[in-house]
Amino acid sequence: MTDEQGTSGAVLVVGGGISGLTAALETAEVGNDVFLIEKGASFGGRVAQLNEYFPKMCPPSCGLEINYRRVKDNRRIRTYTMTTVKSISGVPGKYEVTLETAPRFVNSNCTACGECAEACPDEIANEFNFGMNTSKAAYLPHAMAFPRRYVIKKDALSAAGAEAVKAACKYDAVDLDMKAESFTVNVASIIWATGWVPYEPTKMENLKFGKSDAIITNMMMERMAAPNGPTGGKIVRPGDDKAINSIAFVQCAGSRDENHLEYCSHICCMATFKQMTYVREQYPDAKIYVFYIDLRTPGKYEKFREDRMADKNASFIKGKVADIIPEADGGVTVVAENALTAEKIAQKVDMAVLATGMQPSLSLQGAPVSLNMDGSGFIISDFDKAMISAGCAKKAADVVTCTQSSTAAALKAIQVSRR
Amino acid sequence: MNVQPDLGFIKSLKESGGDTLKKCFQCATCSVMCPLAKEGKPFPRKEMIWAQWGLKEKLVTDPDVFLCHQCGDCTANCPRGAKPGDVLGAIRAFAYTFYGWPAPLAKLASSAKGLPVLIGIPVLVIFIMWALSGAMHFPTKEEFASHGYQQFFGTWDFYWYAKNIFFIVLIMVPALGIGLFSGFKGISTMWKTMCDNAGLNKEYRPSIVQFVQNFLWPSLVEIVKHSRFRECKTNIDRVRGHLPLMLAFIGLFIVTCWSLLKNDVLGLIWPSLHGPLPMTDPFKLLANVSAIALLFGIGVLWANRKKAESELNTQPTFYDWFLIWEITAVGVTGLAAELLRWAGMPILGYIVYFLHLVSVMMLFLYLPYTKFAHLLYRTTAYAFEKYRQSEYGKVN
Repeated sequence: MTDEQGTSGAVLVVGGGISGLTAALETAEVGNDVFLIEKGASFGGRVAQLNEYFPKMCPPSCGLEINYRRVKDNRRIRTYTMTTVKSISGVPGKYEVTLETAPRFVNSNCTACGECAEACPDEIANEFNFGMNTSKAAYLPHAMAFPRRYVIKKDALSAAGAEAVKAACKYDAVDLDMKAESFTVNVASIIWATGWVPYEPTKMENLKFGKSDAIITNMMMERMAAPNGPTGGKIVRPGDDKAINSIAFVQCAGSRDENHLEYCSHICCMATFKQMTYVREQYPDAKIYVFYIDLRTPGKYEKFREDRMADKNASFIKGKVADIIPEADGGVTVVAENALTAEKIAQKVDMAVLATGMQPSLSLQGAPVSLNMDGSGFIISDFDKAMISAGCAKKAADVVTCTQSSTAAALKAIQVSRR
Repeated sequence: MNVQPDLGFIKSLKESGGDTLKKCFQCATCSVMCPLAKEGKPFPRKEMIWAQWGLKEKLVTDPDVFLCHQCGDCTANCPRGAKPGDVLGAIRAFAYTFYGWPAPLAKLASSAKGLPVLIGIPVLVIFIMWALSGAMHFPTKEEFASHGYQQFFGTWDFYWYAKNIFFIVLIMVPALGIGLFSGFKGISTMWKTMCDNAGLNKEYRPSIVQFVQNFLWPSLVEIVKHSRFRECKTNIDRVRGHLPLMLAFIGLFIVTCWSLLKNDVLGLIWPSLHGPLPMTDPFKLLANVSAIALLFGIGVLWANRKKAESELNTQPTFYDWFLIWEITAVGVTGLAAELLRWAGMPILGYIVYFLHLVSVMMLFLYLPYTKFAHLLYRTTAYAFEKYRQSEYGKVN
């Protein structure tokens, strides 16, 4: 068992999504001590938000549960949620890292019985579901939360709410006086698996996100299709819950665009093909329109694309959607030029899905220490400094590529720690 | 297949601001963003791929190239910085040279390298004419006060045709003649090819009166109103410069026509009509207002261009600046000559007037090859668009 000072050769993994979990496990299973920290209240990252994921269309419980189990069973890994890096001193091989854990307002007595949420009168927008529904101010981060412990959003709690949640807890787990705590760990190397955030769709003014309920993002679609999502898995138009007769997928919404994300986000074409299967399962006759610049099926997914394109009720239009017009009946009209026929197309649909891309998290929140980054905010590994990037913090990638790059990062971190 | 890319064409586009052309990846955002693209006929996405492929014949006969007003909305929203608006401007620059006759003069007018010759030709012509006129001397203050510049090329006793007018006509009419002839040659070639490309029936054509009434006149009305310019978003500021400038040209055209009529026709009957107009004359008033509008307009366009270069990273090109310089020169020298006449400074006045003649001749002579040609080609494209959409366009 490690103490918090760590042993020589310990590795800090920043970020507890699929990449961070993988990197932590691979490092620990070789024999190094690992500190795994996560900014959110639960591990699991973006994968936890998906309905199904490539390559085998598994629900996220499939990949995450086994990893949670491995983490729990591995005595070399120490996990910290709601924890971020504050500062780093020392030299490669001997870093002293100051970490800070934000107050959760629920201590380890919590059994996730749910009584506090039941009693809580205050509601907040459910961030996990991109605000498509609400949750109580005392809540479990999501159905597959690990650690399985509630969290309280104190700012959103009324005085009555505070009394109610405290009174409801039989285990004395609610501690509203909890303060942020700093502590230091000594590590040899650091793996940055800080992941990505969906690109802010309101930045594409012409795509009118927020101006109509019928315009959603691909990540919102994942939540909607997920059985534990805001609609219990039913794909309907937000706002009026209308069944979908026609749907448009707007590819490259922000990606491959100098004014937004200048790179290809790698996953959005496949995500759209995948989401076409969600739509088809629920609506066998719905019209599907996919507007694209190029259809990119990285890896071995060409067959998957062919199957989707064989769909009689699906049309693929080569031309980027550059304008979306909200209509009075709640639907939207998407406007593009079909570059193959040189015709301008205005397609009325019940719902439009913006295939928004991946923005590296650190490009938004800023790196806590100076890191080698490219122009878009992806981290470039610096082995001499024992700073190694993994997953989507390194480049836009799908889950398979992320776990591969995390395994590679683990090996590099171990090599650096043994120099 | 042996592909022979037209390097000259590509080089020409690069020189006139189309250097970003190859960045286009055909996403077609521009065609949706363009406020001027008509429903059935989106541009400029197709022009971008034609230009990448070097299909210059297709481009120079494509009305959409000339219907583009370089709003900049496509450029502002282009995900790749391919600047379709600037590329279409460069294609137009190429087209004017392509249609230009005589070709060597057109080529000369297309690059800054030709500038010494471009200025040299009118300087030489006017200087020789001045020498030939035998009036090669500066007037006294008294002469200057009474005649102004009306005896720049001297005077003779032949009552029916003033010597000064004779020389000015001798210089300017052939200059404008060559310009207009060349421009007309260009637009007729363009019109014919556009009709062929659109598959229009040549047997079924409107009469000249019908053509003017149904197609040309509505186009002119639209142009004067700046209806399409006003649909632009990014470069909307240009209306503030282009509108007064265009009205100034119309005003100065009216004044020139009146002055010709007054001096050369009515002056024969009432000799008192000769001489500079008094300040209170409505035509003089129009002339002065026009001159100020011209200077204001070109000033706004000059500033806009500078702003575009610093903010939108627009490439500074000879094609764009030459016309701005020419018009500025016409306005500045014209107004300065008038002010010097009032100030009673004959020597400086004559020199500035000489430069004014030079700049006006440049404007006329190089009309079909420089950006000024847009007044012929764009008007033609307007008329063609209306023609294509009319009943004539539907008969095959």
